[in-house]
Amino acid sequence: MIDFQQTAAAIYLAAGVGALLGIALPSTRISHGAVWGLAAGALVHALAFATLHQLESVPPLTSLPLATSFTAWIGVIALLAFMWRMRLAGLAAVVGPVAFLAVFLASFTTPSAQKEVVGASHSLPHAHVLLGSAGMALLGIAGLSGVFFLLEHRRIKTKRPIGRGFRLPSLEALDRVNVASLAVGFTLLTLGVVTGSFWLQSAEGTPWTGTGHQIWTMVAWGIYAGLTAARFAGRQGARQAAASAVAGFVFLLFAVVGVEILT
Amino acid sequence: MKILLLGMNHRTAPVHVRERFVVDDTRAALQKLVATDEIEEAVLVSTCNRVEVLVTTRQIELARERLDRFFASELSAGAPLPGGAKLEDHLYEHVGDEATAHVFRVASAIDSMVVGEPQILGQMKEAYRGALESGSCGPILSRLFQRAFATAKRVKNETRIAHRPVSVARVAVDLARQIFEDLNDKTALMIGAGEMIEMALFALQREGLGAQRVVNRTRSRAEGLAARFNATAHALDEVEGLLETSDVVLSCIGGDAPFLTSEKMRRALRARRKRPIFLIDIGVPRNIDPSVNELDNAYLYDIDDLQAVAAANEEERRRESLQGERIVFEEQERFAGWMVALRAVPTIRHLRARAESVRERELARVLSKLDLTREQRETVEAMTRAVVNKILHPPLARLGAQTDREEGLAVLEEARALFGLDDPSAPGAEIDEQLALATDGDADRPSVSGEQKSEDGEIE
Repeated sequence: MIDFQQTAAAIYLAAGVGALLGIALPSTRISHGAVWGLAAGALVHALAFATLHQLESVPPLTSLPLATSFTAWIGVIALLAFMWRMRLAGLAAVVGPVAFLAVFLASFTTPSAQKEVVGASHSLPHAHVLLGSAGMALLGIAGLSGVFFLLEHRRIKTKRPIGRGFRLPSLEALDRVNVASLAVGFTLLTLGVVTGSFWLQSAEGTPWTGTGHQIWTMVAWGIYAGLTAARFAGRQGARQAAASAVAGFVFLLFAVVGVEILT
Repeated sequence: MKILLLGMNHRTAPVHVRERFVVDDTRAALQKLVATDEIEEAVLVSTCNRVEVLVTTRQIELARERLDRFFASELSAGAPLPGGAKLEDHLYEHVGDEATAHVFRVASAIDSMVVGEPQILGQMKEAYRGALESGSCGPILSRLFQRAFATAKRVKNETRIAHRPVSVARVAVDLARQIFEDLNDKTALMIGAGEMIEMALFALQREGLGAQRVVNRTRSRAEGLAARFNATAHALDEVEGLLETSDVVLSCIGGDAPFLTSEKMRRALRARRKRPIFLIDIGVPRNIDPSVNELDNAYLYDIDDLQAVAAANEEERRRESLQGERIVFEEQERFAGWMVALRAVPTIRHLRARAESVRERELARVLSKLDLTREQRETVEAMTRAVVNKILHPPLARLGAQTDREEGLAVLEEARALFGLDDPSAPGAEIDEQLALATDGDADRPSVSGEQKSEDGEIE
């Protein structure tokens, strides 16, 4: 179990370093290798989850490190899916190391850490974490593409030539990733919120307990609802959408992970 | 055998000098060159930026004089240069390794006016083909050109010498690629119908741009250009409407004030529902208000911006050409090794001939004393041939392996002394005269079909 996680972490790190080298050298072959590395890491990561699930008979999602590891896995898969159609190898340079950190930290979590969840025998808490984590992963990809978009937008606007090899994905590709990630991520986040309410209803008899986690998550959900509406109503251009995606994800990270740690 | 190169290029001669030396019929010129005793092989490279003659010779001074005459009287028909300029001031000369490295540099476009440009390789191939057809290209220059093409391929693949565009039209296309992921679903609007617009249209179409529209004050000119590029022609007053559905706009028309103002662009962007638009203004005075670049989703580059990018890219190519120089050096060393190894060929041939001569003589002597059947004679003959081959194989193979570097020449000398190849009284020496006659007194001349060393130094 631990071996699979640490192997996946090592592969993600190698893929991230490979992607960075691919940009810096620059070498298309190394960049392609890094993408295949990410795919291999995702496969081993899936094996790690399958092993955890077999050992504990409950989905390995109800501790923060394992949920973060799952978020990283979904993020990697989402990025690979986008890469299928677009030139986004540069994003692997960030996603690889982030996935490495998430999986590496999760590899030190003991399986017993996830048994303390109220109503864990029910599928709702796991559905909540699964959907919420997947939503966060997609919104994270939207935020990342937003950062890249803002950097590239600024470079093109100020007419700075491309540095040696540092060619980022095209603005259009980054914007497409942003739109698709926002749409899918917001849908998954909404489903995560809904399943969370059902879980609370079944476990505690009320869908709203007013905890910090619930309040901040609902605020984040509201922000994303506004951003999604603005984007799809055509009231936001690509640059504003990119900036919003970055700000939105920072807030979501605080609402879900930050508040969890602080409380 | 030495390689000698004499030529002029864009750095040593201005165009009004270079144009005097352009050769139309390279085959006839080459045939004249190799008809002389001092020149063995010749290739003539004639492009708009360079005229170079490359020859192999055993008599370097005579060959040099011959090439001077060739430039002074045959290429320029003896006419004086404009402004009283002296021909020797415009010519450069390279001999041996320097000449090899120069040819490799030229083929790899390191020596080109626009570093990394792709045309020169095709022109070099054409020059080589011309020399082959005229019969002036022998084994040495053939090998040199083959290695030059391989070097060019290595430089192209192992460096980024040709990655960044340096022409204004190509820079515009490259910038469009940084904004748009796919150009094949995009529409270009070309405002103007001049040469720059035509070049850009060609570059954009080559990149697979979806649709093109041409707008011009004189509609008939727009229609003419549109017809050539399968585009649609429009009147200038339709521009504002066309902006709503165009993704790449290239403008180059005359006029005192920018005709595309910030206000017009703002209206177009609203109608485009915030989809990005890339505007390239190559008009002087500028056709598009510079403040358009401050609008969100509008990316504007003028001619100076494009030229700045082109200059930065050219600088990048020059940096990459240093990597190319390393490859040129490696390949030049390799070729020099091959040239040295060529010197082993006559020694190897000589040694084989001597051994064969001894074998034949001794065999004849023994056979005359024996009463053997035809089969028995053939068996003995085959056995003696096998013995000679087996004895000679290790020293010949080592000789081949040692002589592909300059130090190998000493080994070659030792081998000649050891086997007494220069001793006329040594066994088998009677064959030397025949060998000299067979090779027309030119024992160390390599042949295309005869013994040559392959890439890995083995005798083929």
